[in-house]
Formats: sequence, structure tokens, C-alpha cells
Amino acid sequence: MMKNFIHSRSLVVMTILIAAMVCTPLVSSFPTGISGVKDSGCNCHGATTSDSVTPMIVGLPEVYNYSEVYELTVSFTGGPSTPGNINLGGFHLWASEGELSVVDATVQQYNPNEVGHTEVGNDQTSWTVVWTAPATDRNVEMILHTNSVNGNAGDGAGSSGDEWNKITKKINAPILVLESANPYVVLSTLIIISGILLIITITYIFYRTNPDSFNWESFEPWIADWLTTTDHKKIGTLYFLAGMFFLGIGGIMALMIRIQLSVPGNDFLTQDQYNQFFTLHGTTMIFLAAMPLINGFANWMVPLQIGAPDLALPRINAMSFWLQPVAALLIFTGVFSGTGADTGWTGYAPYIVSETAHVGTTMWVAGQIMLVASSTLTGVNFLTTIAVMRAPGMGWMQMPLFTWSILVANLMLFLSIPAFGVGLVQVYLDRVIGTAFYDAASGGDPLLWSHLFWYFGHPEVYVVIVPAFGVISEVIATSARRTVFGYRSMVYAMAGIGVVSFIVYGHHMFTSGMSPTLRFVTMLTTMLVAVPTGIKIFNWLKTMHKGSLIYRTHTLWALGFLITFTLGGISGMFFPSMAMDLHFHESYFVVAHFHYVLVGGTVFGFFSAIYYWFPKMTGRMLDERLGVLHFLTAFISYNGLFWPMHRLGIWGMARRHHTYFISTEEAMGSLPAEAAGWNMFISISAFLFFFSNFILIANMIKSVIRGQKAPADPWGGWSFEWMTSSPPPTPSFPLDDLPTLRDANEGHIANEPSAIVRWFQGLMVLDDNEEEAGH
Amino acid sequence: MSSDHHDGEHHPSAWGPHDWSHGAPHNSWSPIIMSIGIGIFLYTVASVYSWGNMVDSSSIPLVLIGLMIILFGLLIWWRQDASFDGIYEPKASGTPFQNIEIRKVAMWVFLMSEMMVFTSLFSTYMRYRFGIDSCQEVYESGSWIVNSQNVDTGEAVNCFLPASELIASSWFHIAPGAINTFALIISSFTIVQALRWAKKPIGSVDEEVRRKRVYRYLGSTWVLAVIFLTLKMVEWFVGFYIPEIGPIHEHDIMSLVDEGYTIHADHYHPHHGWDDIHLAELAALHPEDYEAYLSAVGPNYEPTNAVMLADIRVSSSTFFVTTGTHGAHVFIGIIGLTYMTWKAWTGGYTPQNAVSIEYFGLYWHFVDLIWVIVFPFFYLY
Repeated sequence: MMKNFIHSRSLVVMTILIAAMVCTPLVSSFPTGISGVKDSGCNCHGATTSDSVTPMIVGLPEVYNYSEVYELTVSFTGGPSTPGNINLGGFHLWASEGELSVVDATVQQYNPNEVGHTEVGNDQTSWTVVWTAPATDRNVEMILHTNSVNGNAGDGAGSSGDEWNKITKKINAPILVLESANPYVVLSTLIIISGILLIITITYIFYRTNPDSFNWESFEPWIADWLTTTDHKKIGTLYFLAGMFFLGIGGIMALMIRIQLSVPGNDFLTQDQYNQFFTLHGTTMIFLAAMPLINGFANWMVPLQIGAPDLALPRINAMSFWLQPVAALLIFTGVFSGTGADTGWTGYAPYIVSETAHVGTTMWVAGQIMLVASSTLTGVNFLTTIAVMRAPGMGWMQMPLFTWSILVANLMLFLSIPAFGVGLVQVYLDRVIGTAFYDAASGGDPLLWSHLFWYFGHPEVYVVIVPAFGVISEVIATSARRTVFGYRSMVYAMAGIGVVSFIVYGHHMFTSGMSPTLRFVTMLTTMLVAVPTGIKIFNWLKTMHKGSLIYRTHTLWALGFLITFTLGGISGMFFPSMAMDLHFHESYFVVAHFHYVLVGGTVFGFFSAIYYWFPKMTGRMLDERLGVLHFLTAFISYNGLFWPMHRLGIWGMARRHHTYFISTEEAMGSLPAEAAGWNMFISISAFLFFFSNFILIANMIKSVIRGQKAPADPWGGWSFEWMTSSPPPTPSFPLDDLPTLRDANEGHIANEPSAIVRWFQGLMVLDDNEEEAGH
Repeated sequence: MSSDHHDGEHHPSAWGPHDWSHGAPHNSWSPIIMSIGIGIFLYTVASVYSWGNMVDSSSIPLVLIGLMIILFGLLIWWRQDASFDGIYEPKASGTPFQNIEIRKVAMWVFLMSEMMVFTSLFSTYMRYRFGIDSCQEVYESGSWIVNSQNVDTGEAVNCFLPASELIASSWFHIAPGAINTFALIISSFTIVQALRWAKKPIGSVDEEVRRKRVYRYLGSTWVLAVIFLTLKMVEWFVGFYIPEIGPIHEHDIMSLVDEGYTIHADHYHPHHGWDDIHLAELAALHPEDYEAYLSAVGPNYEPTNAVMLADIRVSSSTFFVTTGTHGAHVFIGIIGLTYMTWKAWTGGYTPQNAVSIEYFGLYWHFVDLIWVIVFPFFYLY
């Protein structure tokens, strides 16, 4: 009885919640409208359209000639307008293509494609304008509003009794053009399709759990359990699903950007749409794809690796997760009405607090505020868990390196993200209640935003790469069938990256006119980052050197990571140098660099992690052949995608620009003719890379359906997670029977092979063997 | 919820109350509901207000719906938490913190992030306080007369006017802030007393006495926190009235907003002062102090009763948002105290779970500490 009551109650609440989520964005999706009078109707006289008013355009051809100038007469008949009134009427004409221009004082121009009557011209019913046809093939649409006026404005009756109407005219191009797709529609459709696929997958997974009870009575508690769970493994899976979903969405946006850039002067995306797409691509990939993927693995593996029954604060952990999908909804609300954030993921002031920035920017900021809250809660949880919930016997220096990487990453994130949060709240308040933190007209300092943002932003990029370091350390050590070389130096290198990350952010602001002294300091500190990173790469190589490597798919990805991440690291060393930075700033060289570290580093690291931990998480093995195929296609197309961008950047192709032009002559702002070919090559590679990842999806689905059962320790790893069954029970370790560290990592450290290595380590770190000897 | 293996008798429902006698995770509806509430709240607030103007008052009910959803989620959270009797209080196993309560460590970690929040706000404050010319100096230099040639047209100068110029102008103006300081410090004392009484070993004190002491001390903390926010509202929006007492004249103390010190104040000038006649009189009295003014306006300048107008939006934004963030922390504390006082009233605190008062106490001391820094920087200096 009680159970049914609870079920029906949660059903009602779920319905309300879903209804609320669906309805809220609709409440005011067009707060200011995305265009002028052409959609809203004449806003000056009355609200009613009237059939008695007949607008006309005379002089329009059926089919236009390129660049020909047409003289149009716009007029209307009917309505309350009678000769002798003080005012007779007005009009507004909008053309989708070509240019409208004014011939006399009765007409004024709002935009190159938008004209209307003037004060002088409101005592007539017909006006003359000039339209210059486009020089290329376009389908042209013209919208004319006319307003028939009864002239009582002078009597104080205002616009009462006035009537208006509109017509739409289509003019064809000399060569018939197919209707071009609206990118918003494409994006929305793809997002909706992805969402539907997700729902189908979830339903199918439920079906697979027990085909006999495929009904709502058993589905409802099953799904409710997922929505309310506080178990770190389930939340990890939720994070993982959300991360993969948004990786796909971000990828779709990247493809649309690449379609736009595949040929010079393309117009698939307008400038305005392009701005929103690259903004949301960056935001989605960093905050909605990379971070949830990290949290997914961290949630799954950290408690298992340190022998904790769960995270320190399980309900807070659930809160961290559920803030994210809602935040994602807010971030995307704008783009569905065509007014998404167009500020770039950095959201530089003063543009972000200017009214020219789309209204969706406010929602983007609001969503980010929720993500900041989510990250803060995650930080509290992981720092506490790792600090206090290690199994008996596990000291700091016996923690697996993945746990170390999560500790360092969360510490960086935790100490830096409040600055970003405060900046976002300030921007939100500026945009909503009208404070003046970044309003330059009132003395606000836009650079303050850059400081708050990059104080967070630079640690943030390490936050997404350091967990990948942890994964690679685990994978390479396991695959080489030996401990990682120089465990301590690995830990200190990661911690070093964590410390240095806070004092390097000035290199993002070299061109902002900061003081040369500070530039010099951040130049040196930035170059310093290469030292701990170099130590890590050296250690990974050395781990393989004396090991005997088994080539599993996760090993291949780890090796791929080593190559691409090192390349990305080397190109990164160009930027701290001030002179180089000024040259490369805002070019595709920067784009190439950070995609080499964020895709070739983070994403490859997490592909490796998927192949490595998937058997542990699901209890099913992945198909190795499909895995290798995925690696080969993705690795090759990935390099085809990003390597040529270095060359484009050196040629001077600017990032954040919606198009580019090529020229055989030396001209400002144009690229050599080969640039077009390379861009097409990049776009094709982008498609290949995007679709190669479907092999991974197919592999995962295949594995869940009919994969081999996974043993507890398929790869021969020795950290705690391999000691539980696959998948692990809940709670992961019984509270009264926590595992005790006897000879895991520690034993292997003691067996470091050569005396030279130990001597080298002695140079690196303090030796506190007394403590370890106890274990 | 019985389909899952760990939804046995230990996990009666995701709506609570929970059985806290073991460490395994519980299901809870609270996180998802609160997240959706926060999302709706942030969305609808931005629909109602835009650039400081109310653009869509029809969305106000939606703001309230958002807040109600958050409250609903919070109530579930509390309902699940109310049964917590401290039998299972997770303790740390890791080396540096062994046998310390895990949630206490978590609270300290959380305060670290809070510290960064206020550090960022203070960075903003310092950037503007020391980076923008102070209004008083601009006024005394006379450069505003020269720079905005025609002051009557209403051209405003950008300068920084700290709220302390108004607040510290008299004992009466500063009274709400001063009383607030004492209220918060006393509340830090009362919360510790609540903890002390809750912690007394069983048998050393009558349980009914304990219950009364704990809920009265928590209740006093609640009252003091409410006094704090009330006086803050008086200081910001309401103002107050001083009757004639002995040598004190009868007069009104205006609130900051009534004084014109608002985030939209782009043409601010004080009710008396900032005119050039006054400046000329001062310069005539102390020419050595007003050299800058005299050289700016030249020897033949005739005061025209021109008034300096100032764009002080940055100053007021900094003031209201920093003190407001602190106020929001007090407000969150009030919400927490409401629940704790209720729980104490039902006799929910025993020596076993008294430590949860300490968790709140840590937060509350932090809020107090922040006020001790905010007060001199924003009210006195």
C-alpha cells in the first residue's frame, strides 16, 4: 500500500518536474525578438491586422539579374486612410538578400536590407525605393508591412483605428537555388534526435535488465532509483552518460563550424550564428563534456582505488551531478530561439555586459553559475574523501596515481573556481539588475573580468588534462606489467603543475597591455610548466622501457596520447614567449595547440580509460578488434583534423572568424590559395573523426548486449578497484571490512629496479621511509 | 522502491526519513528537485529583470515557483536528515585526520572555497577602491569644473564614493552596522553554548534541561541573525527616525537608497555639498590645502553654484554586492538555524550527534569572521 503511494507520488512529482523543465524555456524564449518589424508587425499603430488594407510592391521581377538595380514602388490601398487626413500611412520593407536603398526624403534606411517611411513620408500612400539584386544565386524574400492611418493622431486619439497588413514576395535567382538549411533547425533536430536515441537506449537497457517485466510498474521504480541515487557508481555512470551525450552535441556543433569553414566565403552559418556555435562548442566541450567525463571516472574509481565505501557526502555528490543537466538546459535555452551566447567561452567583458551581446548570454551565465556550484560541491566531496577515507595503511604516497591526479585536479579547481563564480555573478547582476561591475562607461574595468576568468581558466585547462595523466599512468604501468617509473616524481610533478597553474594565467593576457614585468614573470612561470610535464613524459617512456608491453586497445590510446600530447605540449611552448605569442595570438595555431592537448590529451586519455575500466564498470569486456579499428581511424583522422591548423595559423588565419578569404596576391586579411584546400581537408577529417567515434559507441552497446563476462582483474592491475568483482557490489567495500593496503603500489615502489633510479629519486624528494617501513 | 538490491528495509524511501544506522548510500529526491528549482529561479529572475528594469512582471509567479521548488527539495533533505541520531557518524580513516568526523573535514574544505569567494569580492573592491579616484578628492581638486565645462548639462564624473562616506558620517548612521556587528559576535557565542549543552554527557544533565538550553541557544542565534538582516534592510532601504532626546535633535536617518546611493546612481550628488561656492569658500580659508583647485580653475574663477555630479555605480555595486553576499550567507544560516532550532525543540540533539551543531558553528563563525573584515572596509574606512 505504502509502496504504491510512494510510486504514484514520485510519478506526479516527475511529471511536474518534466512539465516545468519543458515549459519554463517557453515562457519567454523571445525576450526581445530576433528581428525587427518584419516578424512582429508594425509596432507603431494598433495591434490588429486588417484584410481591408492591401499592400503592393510594383517593379519586382519574377527572376532577378545579378546585381541589377530595380526601382520598386510600394503602396497600399484600403483601410481608414482617406485623402485629406493629416497622415495617410507608413510602410516597412525588409529584404532577405540584396540591398535596399533610399531615393528621396520620404524613406529612411534602418539597415542595408531594411527601410521604412520617414516623418516627411507619412502623408502619402506610395513610396519609391531601390533594390540592388544580389551578385550570386539566392532565393530572395521580401516582407512589406503597410499601415493605413486615419490621421487622428493630431486630435490626441493616437493610433486608434489605424490598420495594417503585410505581404511576402519571393523572387527567384537566375539559377534555381535549393532552400538552404537553417543551422538552428539542424542543430535542434540533431540534439532532439540524440536525446531520443538516449531515451531509446535507456529504455532498451531497462528491457535488457529483465525482459519479462517490461512494464511501467517496474520501469518507474527503476528510473526513479537512477534519478535519486546517491551511490557513487551510479552517479559515475550518470556523469559518464551526460558527458558522452554532450561530447556528441559539442561534436555536432564542431562539424557545423567545419562545414562553414570548408570553403572560403561560405555562408552556411551567418556571422551571428557562427559566434553562437563556437561559443557553445567551447562551453559544451569544457564544462559539459570533459568535466562530467572526468567526474564520471573519478566517481567510479576514486572510492574503489582508495578502499572507501562511498564518497564522503553521497547526497552532495548527487546534487553536484543534477546541477549539471539543468545548467546545460539553461546554457542551451538561448540557442533554441536564435539568441544563444555569442561571447566565446571566455565571455570577455565589456562585450558580455553590453546589450549587443545576445539575450541568451544571461542564461549562459546563469547556467555557468550552476556549474560553478556543482564543481564546488564536487571539490568538497573529493578533497574530503581522498584526505580522510583512505583504507587503513594507505598513506599519501601509496595512493594510485589516478587518485592523485583527481586530488590535484580538484584542489586546483576548488581554489580557482570561486573567482570565476564571483565574476559570473557580477556579470549576471550587471545584466539583470543593472549593477556596473564591468560597465566601462561608469568606470568599471573590463580587464578585471579577464583576471577573474583566467585566474580560474588556466587552472581549469590543467583540471581537464591532469586526470588524463592519472589514467595514462595507470594504463601504461598495467600494460607494461610493472610499476610506474618514478612514482614519487610523478606525484610531485602533478602537485608542481597544480601549484604553478595559479601563477601562469597572465600569458592569456599578453596582448591586453599588462605591465612588461608581469608579462616577463608569467612567461617564465609558463615555461616552467614544461618541466613537471616533461618529467611525466619521461617517466612514462621509462616505465615502458624496462617493462614488457602488452598492446591492448587502452595501451594503444595511451601511446597515441603520448604522441599527440607531446606535440601539443611543444606547440604550447611557443605561447609563453611574448614575441611569439603576440604573433600567434587569436590564430589557428592556438586552436591547433589547445585541441592537441584537450583532444589528443584529455579525450584520448579518457578513451583509454573507457577501454581500461569499462569491464570493471559493466562486467563486460569490450571487443578488442573494434577497439583497434576505432583507434586507427580516430587517431589518423584526428591528426588530419588538427595538424594542418598549425600551418593555417602561421599563414594568419584568425580564429573566431566566421569565414576567410583566399587570394593569390599579397593582401590584408587573405590567405594563400592552398588554405582553401587545407580547410576542406580539415573538414573532411573532422567528419571522419566524428563518425569514427561511433565505432566506440557500437562497441559499448555490443559489449553490454553480448560481451564476454569480465573477470575481476582482466588486465592484471593491482590497485584496489581490481580486487572487487566486476561490476563491484554496493557498498563498494563493506563498512566493517575495509580492505587494508599490504603490498599494492608500495611494494612496487620498494622494488624499483636500479640504484641509480633510487638515487635520482632521493634528489627529487624527501625520503620518509620510516613511515612506509611500517606497512 | 524495492526493485534494487540495496533498497531493502534500510532504505525505506527516497522521500525520507532515512535510517542512519549504517553507512551505505540512501536514495534522495532532493538533489534533482533542488537543481531544477535553482535553474527555474535563475531563469525567471532574468526574465523579470533586464538591465535593471522590470521587463516582464508576469514571470514573477514563476520566480516564486522556482523558490518553492527549492524549498520543497530542502524540506525533503531535512526530513531525511531529521532522523540522524549520530549512531553512525562517519569517521576518518586516512592518516592525517584519523578519527575526526568526516563531515567536519568537509566543512573546513568548503570554507576554503568560501574564503576564495570573498577574496575575489575583495579583489574587485580593491581594484576599484584604489584604481578609481575618490569622489572627495575629485571634488576638492576642482578638476570637475574644468573637465565638464558645463556642469548644468548634467555630465557626471566617474569617481569612487565608498558607502562609508555616508555610513560613517554620524553615530546614528553607523548604528545599524555597529549593532549588527555585536549581534553577530554574540550569536557566535550562543551557537557555542548550544553546542556545549548538547555535548554534555548523558546523565550529567537533565534531558529536559538540555533540550531547553539547546533550543533556546539555537533560537537566540536565530533571533540575532534575523536582527542582523532586519537592520541591514533598515540601513539599505528603510531608514529610521530619531526623536528629540536631550541634546539630540529630532531628525530622520535616511537609508542608503534614500540618500541616492544605489546601483543606478549615475548622477549622484550629496544633499549638501559638492558645489563650487562651498569649495571656493574653503579655498579662501585654507589656500595651502586647495592649491590643486586654485590652479585648476585659475585666479578669475567666479563660483556659479555649479554642482558636481558623480557616476558612482561601480562604488555602490561593489558595496551592495559584497555586503549582500555576506547577507546571503547570513540568510542561508537563518534557513539552517530554522531547521536546527526545530530539531532541537523536538529534542533531536544528543551528545552523539551534537557535532552537527559544530559543523554549522564552523560556518557561522566564518560568516562572523567575514563580517569583521567587511565592516571596517565597507563601513568605517
